[in-house]
Amino acid sequence: MDLTQKLEILADAAKYDVACTSSGAQRQAELGKLGSASCAGCCHSFTPDGRCISLLKVLLTNACVYDCAYCVNRCSNDVPRAAFTPQELAELTIGFYRRNYIEGLFLSSGVIKSPDYTTELMIKALSLLRNEYGFRGYIHAKGVPGTSPALIDQLGRLVDRLSVNMELPSQESLQLLAPGKTRQNILAPMKQIQESIAADAETNALMRRKNHYLTHVAVPKKQRAFAPAGQSTQMIIGATPENDYQILTLSASLYSQLQLKRVFFSAYIPATTNPLLPQGANVQLNREHRLYQADWLLRFYEFNANEIIDTAHPYLDLDLDPKANWAINNLDSFPVEVNTAPYEMLLRVPGIGVVGAKKICKARKHRALCEQELRKIGVAFKRARYFITCNGKYQGTGARFEPGSIRARLAAPIDGGKHGRRAGNVCFGQMSLFDQEQPTALPGGPEAAAAFALQEQAKAKRGLLAEKASA
Amino acid sequence: MNLPIPIEGPYTEIAYEYDGTLEGLLTAIFKAYQYREHPTDVVASANLQPRLGQSVRSIETDFHLAERVARGICTTCGAKTFAFVRNAALVDSPEAGTNVYRFVRFAMKTGPVAMHNIANPLVQPLERANTFVRNESERVRQFVRFHELEGGIYFGTISPKANVVPLVMAWFAARFNTQPFIIYDEAHGLAGVYEGPAAQTGTTNVWGNKSWYLVPVDARSDLNIPPEVPREQAMQQAWKAFYQATTISVRYHPELRQHFMPQRFWKDLVELHPSLPTSAHSGITPVRSNAGMKLSSSA
Repeated sequence: MDLTQKLEILADAAKYDVACTSSGAQRQAELGKLGSASCAGCCHSFTPDGRCISLLKVLLTNACVYDCAYCVNRCSNDVPRAAFTPQELAELTIGFYRRNYIEGLFLSSGVIKSPDYTTELMIKALSLLRNEYGFRGYIHAKGVPGTSPALIDQLGRLVDRLSVNMELPSQESLQLLAPGKTRQNILAPMKQIQESIAADAETNALMRRKNHYLTHVAVPKKQRAFAPAGQSTQMIIGATPENDYQILTLSASLYSQLQLKRVFFSAYIPATTNPLLPQGANVQLNREHRLYQADWLLRFYEFNANEIIDTAHPYLDLDLDPKANWAINNLDSFPVEVNTAPYEMLLRVPGIGVVGAKKICKARKHRALCEQELRKIGVAFKRARYFITCNGKYQGTGARFEPGSIRARLAAPIDGGKHGRRAGNVCFGQMSLFDQEQPTALPGGPEAAAAFALQEQAKAKRGLLAEKASA
Repeated sequence: MNLPIPIEGPYTEIAYEYDGTLEGLLTAIFKAYQYREHPTDVVASANLQPRLGQSVRSIETDFHLAERVARGICTTCGAKTFAFVRNAALVDSPEAGTNVYRFVRFAMKTGPVAMHNIANPLVQPLERANTFVRNESERVRQFVRFHELEGGIYFGTISPKANVVPLVMAWFAARFNTQPFIIYDEAHGLAGVYEGPAAQTGTTNVWGNKSWYLVPVDARSDLNIPPEVPREQAMQQAWKAFYQATTISVRYHPELRQHFMPQRFWKDLVELHPSLPTSAHSGITPVRSNAGMKLSSSA
């Protein structure tokens, strides 16, 4: 088997891992060594599904002793198996990196023999890359649940980010679908990683502290930092019956208690024919999208999970993003005056993001902001207008200041549904002079409405064609 | 004291014409102060289209004067404002020169806070231009694909919409300091060259760095590109195979890919070139057509 074939098999086996970020670690370049890492990360390519490729995402091997129902690499599945030698993997990474194809390496692995043995193989491959080849690019490695703490520590000092997959959001689902893994042996390495990162940061702070008046001499570091870009995790959405409330409260607690950098969600794609798993062709991509929006609110917009979602409404609204939903349910906090409102409040206005809020704070020191200025700064004024006043004047037009009216405005499909994922696009009938009378009530919700609109459109088209033919 | 060259006709409307470089623009700004004139337009000669009844003054680039303006902006408004001005001057749009000129007039009166007044109509175009230049630099960092040539040189081609190669060279020279490389900007006829860790050019250039330099290139054929090394094709095949393998077909969403990776970059992206079955096709290069990428033997 040649290297390209191996790469195909092992990249194909790794593609369902979501994390492909190269962010969080800042490492300056060093003369004579290849590579650097920047805090913001860099995406070098995008696949036809729109996901980014920033790291060479491969498995060390796709052979596995576990039999997790949702996984393509489970031992009972009949797929071709392959494994990289450390040398091959290092050469491939360096070759791609030198051509600016990738930002670094994402290394995961199926479990061969035992978690410890697998981790040892990963350590061998990564230390070759770091020490022999002097590679300073980004490395993300997966921790295998059940690995001994000593090996996790070794691995953590070679990589920038470590991640252990939660896989499924609850203990019961794990028991059902991944009998080889337990919540305990997933959480144990996550806790260890968090503690090691914290200990590392504390040591660094102590070493940097100047507690005497003599000339300060920086102590050279004995070893690499432990996972400087922190840790992340991922869970599968839609394979098991957990609702959005459970998922979001779990991820909020992971952020606050284990200091995770990211929690990734992956909409379940039926890749196996296990009777325990849902087999419909319906991939919950819109749900995944809303969960990510909520996740952004937790991380960048200073929201609490219980503001976004509660037990009474355990699923996020699919028609409206969680921020707009919160704003409509809390209309008593609005409208806010853009020229005086604090930054935290600006962040809560739909249509104003982190960049927009910062720009508003910067610009309003010099002049009062009105519609024209806000549009020029780059705020999504079309959305924000229902929630703001400029110099005391309410900006919302065409809608009453009450939840139903504003909701209808914000939930309307943009550009008649031409935007967004093509599967989710709604094709409404174009306005036409030949339109017949509209029915007053549409039966059966939005699907029926869309179907009806399509029929109308076809009818109008036929009419036009007939007219052309007669002329 | 240099007196302005007399210009025919009424002096109400005047346009300054410069050679399109940053230094040329700075010289034009100097001349406007020197002659006590307020040009309506400051344009690169390639974009010059005089208005009705407008007189045109040609500005000859003077590095000494340009440096004086740069120093003046730095002392009055700070180095950040100068970087703000410099980045805005790299944009291709015909209004870039006029916008920069008007901003400099405004900033020299207002001081360092001028660039933060982003809602001001004089500052706002520069703020936009800066965002555009930042995004375009990021795209160059993302989408340059190096080809390994004989002699160990790595060569990459890209056509960004702003002249950003000088802004990204430092980043590339640091990251890839172990390999000599060339980034050729086809759209602006400019190549950034880094000759490897051993070669230091000895002089500090305008961008404050001496490990790399810029070369104006009129046509691709002027570059004398050596042939690729044999393993280059194998690497490209491996990269294409990886690109194919990471795609999840049920999530197919080409519009999203196009949003992040605009089609104007595709002609230089290895992974989007169709795979060639044998070396017999090596004379064929992919070209863009209305239907997307296709093979053509004409090129």
